[in-house]
Amino acid sequence: MAALGAGGSAAGLARLRRVARTLWGWRARRGLGQEAGAAGGGEGGRPAFTDEVVQSLLCKMTGLNLQKVFRPVKMELKPPKYKLMTEAQLEEATRKAIEEAKEKLVMPPVLNEREPIDDVLAEDKFLEGTETTKYVFTDLTYSVPHRERFIVVREPNGVLRKATWDERDRMIQIFFPKEGRRVIPPVIFKDEHLPNVFRQDRHEDLLNMCIAQFEPDSPDYIRVHHRTYDDIEKHAKYDLLRSTRHFGGMVWYLVNRKKTDGLLIDMIHRDLLDDTTSLITLYHMLHPECQSAKEAKVQKLQGIDLIKVFVKTESQKEGYVQLALQAYEEAMATSTGS
Amino acid sequence: MRRCGKMAPAGGTTALLRAVVGGLRGPGRPLWARDAPQLCSTQAATKAPPTPPSPYQEKPWAYLESEEYRATYGDNPVWHGYRRNHKGAIPPQRTRKTCLRKGKLVGNPCPICRDRNLHVDFRNVKLLDQFICPHSGIIFHPTYTGVCMRQHKLLSKAITQAQEHGLLWLQVPYVPVPQEDFSNRHPAVGKTPPAPTLAPGHPWYPWYEWQPPPAADIARMRRLYKDYLKEKEPPPAVGTPMDTPPAPCVEPRGE
Repeated sequence: MAALGAGGSAAGLARLRRVARTLWGWRARRGLGQEAGAAGGGEGGRPAFTDEVVQSLLCKMTGLNLQKVFRPVKMELKPPKYKLMTEAQLEEATRKAIEEAKEKLVMPPVLNEREPIDDVLAEDKFLEGTETTKYVFTDLTYSVPHRERFIVVREPNGVLRKATWDERDRMIQIFFPKEGRRVIPPVIFKDEHLPNVFRQDRHEDLLNMCIAQFEPDSPDYIRVHHRTYDDIEKHAKYDLLRSTRHFGGMVWYLVNRKKTDGLLIDMIHRDLLDDTTSLITLYHMLHPECQSAKEAKVQKLQGIDLIKVFVKTESQKEGYVQLALQAYEEAMATSTGS
Repeated sequence: MRRCGKMAPAGGTTALLRAVVGGLRGPGRPLWARDAPQLCSTQAATKAPPTPPSPYQEKPWAYLESEEYRATYGDNPVWHGYRRNHKGAIPPQRTRKTCLRKGKLVGNPCPICRDRNLHVDFRNVKLLDQFICPHSGIIFHPTYTGVCMRQHKLLSKAITQAQEHGLLWLQVPYVPVPQEDFSNRHPAVGKTPPAPTLAPGHPWYPWYEWQPPPAADIARMRRLYKDYLKEKEPPPAVGTPMDTPPAPCVEPRGE
């Protein structure tokens, strides 16, 4: 499984992305795809995380800062390599780097929490009292995907049931170990130790570790992600996740819970007006019944007008956003004037 | 040992007299003999008072903020300036096994053992940071820092524990996003409807309850014992169990 992402040429990886897109696209079209947990109930026409439009908006907001994506990490010290290139070669190298960065910025799926498994296959009462421990039987066929692998547990009272999700994850990790995943999840993912990580501004590292350790639909994965997003929103540390693969998930979470004000202010401070318009468009897509959505549709607003209408009707921290907008407009006026 | 005073009497009473003369000091020493003077330090000296426990036992990280630490080490790491004692130019590739033998420190103890206020704990991150390379993130080899092997083991354990608790930086490997079908519709992970025989009222296995035997077996038994049968015709084939099994009853052979 690790070979999927690590090796392969750009063509192979592009093929994988196409496959993923068709898979997600198919699921979204069929209506069978799992959509993110939203504030309201999921309706038929509601946009999902995996929709093309939504993904394009989130990608635009994430941005692509090559310096941040390919920043040096602590590793074995080697002498630096220097290459002498022409302009054309440099452009080619930059293009390749952008492609590689896009692969690295593929967003992890946002799913609902999985349903617990509690199916009983047999109840052989005559086995009661013969054993003192549970027995776990795992199907070890190599070519079977892990989600289609049968794992059953025989209890001491004779009941043969399907293994729970925790037991499944543990058994699959024991027999088919994955890189970066431990059989017993590390202590860092417990609620009492998360603040230690947040204090050091290591949200991105934590989310990467979470992706490595848990399945995307497990309750621990969702809990850690939500705590991280809450902490970022509380301290306005949005820039930590910009240009990483977690930014899209964070924006989706915030827009679903209508907590977009801090992000809006941050974007205006950094002069990212396009991102603000994309954010508000996404908000209107997800909450079409809100007043600003209706006004925008009627009046076909663009740019700053859209932001102003949104701020007037939907935001909780109206004052701060207005201040930021004013500062931006003044800066624009002085720069154009001078 | 020669005796003075009494003349050694003949033969067998020598040992007895020696014991009497030696008295409480034991058979070999006369009463007037004094203890030899303590001339050199290798002889048993008076025991030193036991050192009080370090005040930083509970909070080892407090020591690294204190004036005492600042005065002793300044800005340098604790292992700065420590020199191992070994023969020759090339040091052995392993430091000593431990600095504490029989409850006492050896000569030239390692940088951690020589300071009783330094405790290797996963919570005093500042001390652990001094033993990690700031560029590559690996733990320094004990030949570089000079710590004994025991302390190096404790340090490695504390560093991994601190990394697990999120107190220390840890290199996270890049794991690509999983590309599988997350719909959970496969019967291995989804709901499977129970088998029709497992509805309530039905036994789990059909043979838990009585079942009528197959007609061929009944016919065979009847053929075997046809001379002893009471009824001429077989009973009607029934699906439900009766109080008495409808197998052909065999007459008891004369008792």
